[in-house]
Amino acid sequence: MTLKKYDGLQSEIYVPITPKPVWAPVTKELKDMNIGIATAAGVHLKSDKRFNLAGDTSYREIPWDTPAEDLMVSHGGYDNSDVNKDINCMFPIDRLRELAKAGFIRGLAPIEYGFMGGGGDVDVFTHKTGPEIAQKLKAEDVDGIIMTAG
Amino acid sequence: MIVQRAIESAGIPTILIAALPPVVRQNGSPRAVAPRVPMGANAGEPNNVEMQTGIVKDTLKQLVSIESAGKIVPLPYEYIAKV
Repeated sequence: MTLKKYDGLQSEIYVPITPKPVWAPVTKELKDMNIGIATAAGVHLKSDKRFNLAGDTSYREIPWDTPAEDLMVSHGGYDNSDVNKDINCMFPIDRLRELAKAGFIRGLAPIEYGFMGGGGDVDVFTHKTGPEIAQKLKAEDVDGIIMTAG
Repeated sequence: MIVQRAIESAGIPTILIAALPPVVRQNGSPRAVAPRVPMGANAGEPNNVEMQTGIVKDTLKQLVSIESAGKIVPLPYEYIAKV
């Protein structure tokens, strides 16, 4: 039996569509990789401008050697009580520094990134915020990224 | 997941530590791990260095070993927040 196929045909009922796969292969061993963190959890320096809890597409840069006590969260989309006790719950910077020291990874990306996910202007995230962070990481020769979100 | 996909598209491999795996699947995350944690403590219980180290190490191992896009690997750590 042959099936007729119509390009672009879709249901009238709205259903979320999973986007096409994206993939960048890993080419190094962990011990040779510089790893960065990008988090949607609203992490930033205490000295930085807070995120607008109603929706914010901006992002904050966090130097790799920032002490954990100089960091905070502003995010309106989840219970912040755990992350207020210990930033490493969502931004495991101390753990990553320990793993670099132990030689498990080569080192950290010089700059980590914090933004407020879970809402905001999806279009801006897709066409501006995401690509901007990606290009900055690319320019710093970062080999892999751990993210916390969702 | 939008930002994860942007970074991956730029050629840098990424892995997401997720508390809500179904959301991650829906949004097309290339690689993810899912410890049993509540949203807000994705990388483990506050001040539990052992659990956080385990989660981060296992996440990095999966970054290297996951072979195809869309895979979500459960991690054997559990933290139940007292609400």
